[in-house]
Formats: sequence, C-alpha cells, structure tokens
Amino acid sequence: MADTVTTSRVPAVTGPAGTGAETRTEALAVTVTETETETAAAAGRRRWTGSWPALLARRTLALVLLAAAWEVLPRTGLVDPVFVPPLSQVLAAWYDLLLSGQLAEHFEASLIRSLGGFGLAIVVAIPLGLAIGWYRPVADFLSPVLELFRNTSAVALLPVFILILGLGEPSKIVFVFYACSWPILLNTISGVKTVEPLLVKSARSMGLGPLRLFQKVILPAAVPTVFTGVRLAGATSILVLLFAEMVGAKAGLGYLVQDAQFNFRIPDMYAGIITISALGLLFNLLLLRVERRFSTWRTV
Amino acid sequence: MTVNVAEYNPSGYADAPVKISLRDVGKTFPIRGSDRTFTALDGVGLDVRAGEFLTLVGPSGCGKSTLLDLIAGLTAPTTGRIVIDGVPVDGPGPDRGVVFQQYALFPWRTALANVAFGLEARAVPKGERTERARHYLDLVGLSGFEQRYPHELSGGMRQRVAIARSLACDPEVLLMDEPFAALDAQTRESLQEELLLIWQKTGKTVVFITHGIDEAVYLGERVAVMTSRPGRIKHVLDIGFDSRDGDLRADRRFGEYRHHVWTLLRDEVAAAQEQERARG
Repeated sequence: MADTVTTSRVPAVTGPAGTGAETRTEALAVTVTETETETAAAAGRRRWTGSWPALLARRTLALVLLAAAWEVLPRTGLVDPVFVPPLSQVLAAWYDLLLSGQLAEHFEASLIRSLGGFGLAIVVAIPLGLAIGWYRPVADFLSPVLELFRNTSAVALLPVFILILGLGEPSKIVFVFYACSWPILLNTISGVKTVEPLLVKSARSMGLGPLRLFQKVILPAAVPTVFTGVRLAGATSILVLLFAEMVGAKAGLGYLVQDAQFNFRIPDMYAGIITISALGLLFNLLLLRVERRFSTWRTV
Repeated sequence: MTVNVAEYNPSGYADAPVKISLRDVGKTFPIRGSDRTFTALDGVGLDVRAGEFLTLVGPSGCGKSTLLDLIAGLTAPTTGRIVIDGVPVDGPGPDRGVVFQQYALFPWRTALANVAFGLEARAVPKGERTERARHYLDLVGLSGFEQRYPHELSGGMRQRVAIARSLACDPEVLLMDEPFAALDAQTRESLQEELLLIWQKTGKTVVFITHGIDEAVYLGERVAVMTSRPGRIKHVLDIGFDSRDGDLRADRRFGEYRHHVWTLLRDEVAAAQEQERARG
C-alpha cells in the first residue's frame, strides 16, 4: 500500500549522516540511554540485596579509578605531566577560572548559543516534521531538498554561515540550529509515520475527521519518538557548538579550550574540557527526565 | 430426531425490519507492483435484521474482516451496495461501533479516557462524558479500574474497555472482528456470556466475526458461513434454542448445529489451504 512505500522512503531515525561530530553525538546519546535503562533495571532487581553505600561504591568505582590514574600516572612520570597535568592541578586551575569569573563568562556564552539554536530547532523542526509526516504533498515537495541537506554536514556549512552572518552570535546559533534540526525532524517524521495503523483505523471508525484524528491520535502517539529526537538534538547542540567556538569566537567554552591550548595553559584546557563534559551530562539528564515525564505510558 | 437446520426457520426476530443490507458486494485490491487485482469478496448478499445477533464464520483469508470494514465504512466496496436503514454507507458513522481483535486502545489514555474518546470526538460536554464513560465501564464490570492505563490491564480487561468504548457512543450496530480470539479460553467464555447479557440489555444489532464454530453457534441467532476466497455467503443457518439460559453447549442441538456449520466449513477450509499452498 501507498503507506508502506512512504515509510520506507523515510530515512532511518538514526539521523544525519555526514560529519564525524554528528555521528559521535548520536552514538554517545544512545549509549547513555542504554546505560540508564540498564542501571534502572539493575537497581530494581537488586533493591534488597545491597545497601545504598555499596551501590554508590559500585556505580562510582570506575570514575574513581579514572581520577586516580589521572592523578598518579603524570606524577610517576609514566605520562608527560606537561601535556597531561595531574588531576589536582587541573581542578586547581578550574577553581581559579571559577573565582576569576572567566569560567562563568565562557559558560554563559556557550549556553546562550546552544540553547538558542536548540530552541529554534524545536520550534521549527517539530511543526515541519509533523507536516511532512502527515501531508503527503508536503513530503513529496520537500523530501528531495531535505535529502540533499541531510547529507550536507553542518561543519561543511559553517564557513557559509560565517560568510553570510559574520563572526558574531547569529552564525553560531544558526549553525547549532541546523545541526539540531535533523534529529528532531527525522524523529518527528518517523513518529508520525509509525503510529499504529489500528489506532488510526479505530479512531476513524468512531467518526474522527482528519483534523481531530491528527490532534487526538497522531500527535499523542508521536510524542515519545519526538522526544527522543529532542534529546539527541540536546547533545548535538553542545557538541557542534564547541566546534564553532574553536573556529571563530572570542568567548565560549570551545574558545577557552582552544585558546588555552594555543597559549600552553594546559591545566586550563583540561578544566575547560571537564566543564564541557559536565554540561553535556547535565543537559542530557535534564532532557531524559522531561522525556520520561511525557511518555510514562510507553512502558508496555 | 434431527433438526432440519437447512430449512428456513423463521422465528420472532424474522419479522424485525432489515437493518443492514448487502447486495452483490465485491471488493478487489490492486496487487502492489503489478496491474493485476486481488479479489477479496465477490457477490456478497446478506441481510442483518434490527436487533439480531449474527455471527459470521469462514476460513482464514476469506475476507471476513474486509466485509466488516466495508460495513463500518472504513473502505468502499468495488461493486454492489451496502445500505443501513435504507441509507447507503459512505464512510464511518456514529450509528456503528467497531471492536477489534487487538483492542486498539490508546496507550496514553486511562481506561476512563479511552471509553470517553468517542464522546470527545462528538463534542459531548466533559461532565456528561465522564459520567457516561463510568457507566459503560461499570457495565463491562470494570468499576475501580478507571485510572488504569491499558498496559496495566489484562487482555480480557482491555477488550472490556474496548467494548465499553464502542458502547459509549451508543451505536445501533456493533461490529466485532474476532474480539475474543486473543484471549484464553476461560476469559473468552465469561466475555461471551457478558456480551450476550449486554446485547439483551441494550438491544443492539451485532455482527460478530469469528473463526470458532463453537463461538459462532453459542453467540449467534444466525450463523452466516462464508466460502474461501473470494468470499461469498455460502449459507445462513438459523440457530433456534428454546432458551439461552444454562449450559447451552451441553444442549443436544448445540452439537447438531455445530456439526452442520463444521460440515459447511470443511470444504471451504480445505479450499483455503489449497490456495495457501498454491501461493506459498
């Protein structure tokens, strides 16, 4: 049937091909989800077999080992302390950056850019995805263009954005927006297209017209899939932004890392990297929480 | 003594007016990737009387579900006419409710909200909606389960919710597509019994598709037997028990009716299997 044909024409949910940065984003996000689910399941199973300090110890052991290795290896000279300073030095540098207010300044710059692009992507890509998923003519009209751009890496377009929008904020926000749009768009399209046909049939048998059907069945059924896209886009927003900040910026965490490396302030560089990791982690956790709230019923 | 079941045997309901009338109904589907067509139904003629419980049996793949979709107005027939109360069917309508085998409940809605769904679509005010939804959940024995989500309910309970949802819109015709096929034997029997009670209480016209001969004979006032593909009505059998109380299945005549339907179906099932092999 026509339906099947359209579905197969929709690209896989896994999202944009192209840049290494984007592919890594997705791989990372997926890993995080799996670990989350696993630990949640494991926690449920072991609820009565261990006290919570034991659980905490188990779950943080790998992190503690990593931190210990980072501290000890440079000090023993196994790793060159000039290129990899011990963790304590990095944390001291981080604290200095925090006190001087530099960290807050860079952090703020990055956050505004990534949230701006991310928010814009949500506002544009979700309605567009719904339209493409629901209206065949819109899909037929836009698919070729989307297919072309989907395979055009955001990184390849960054020079274009800078050329047109200049080195200031707009080019970076548009860059993040572009990269974030794909996971949201593709997941929204697939969310609309993969709504259980029986539910549609059942709603139609109750006399729902196309508009009501969309509002009462298609939209709620697609919410979890849309949110998966939003969460992927959240991780993307931070990862691609750093790239933009390394290429042309006067502030931001990416700029901090790049600038510190150029000026051989190696502990500062690592301090910047740690901040970025923490930011990404927090963002993902936040989005996961929102996602769960919106799709509690999807536990079948 | 054997009951001459093949002979037309009018009982009380035979005087009831015709509710649904199918005349020479055919349905063909285009086969994907070729210009040939697939004939699912061919020349189906059937009258369903107001307030009757008609069961429809046939070998698998004979187009039973297609026929139900046509009556529901979800698809249009290629040939022939389907008329309900003298009006040709041209799309789904509030006068018909459908119950599917796979429940088709909305997983993001509670049992109560699922039952209220059709009422929402009809813009019934919220207070009345909730009241009616509660009433119908109670009718199918699910009071106290209003706030459960479908995944928190057993298969039997889900199908009860689905039945309540169809009834809530107060349709005159209830179309049921193998609604109990996915349930275990015990749950199925109790739901069959309850369905009969609900039918007697509400006076709906019921068209019930099944592939179970026992189920067809137990539930139906008449059993329509379909041929293998392309589906046609092979025979309509009147089921005339004096009373439906007690253990109907132990009635001597139950066995006779059952055997009669079985005989009618045997050749069709064989033919259907032959088709299946030829295709595979």
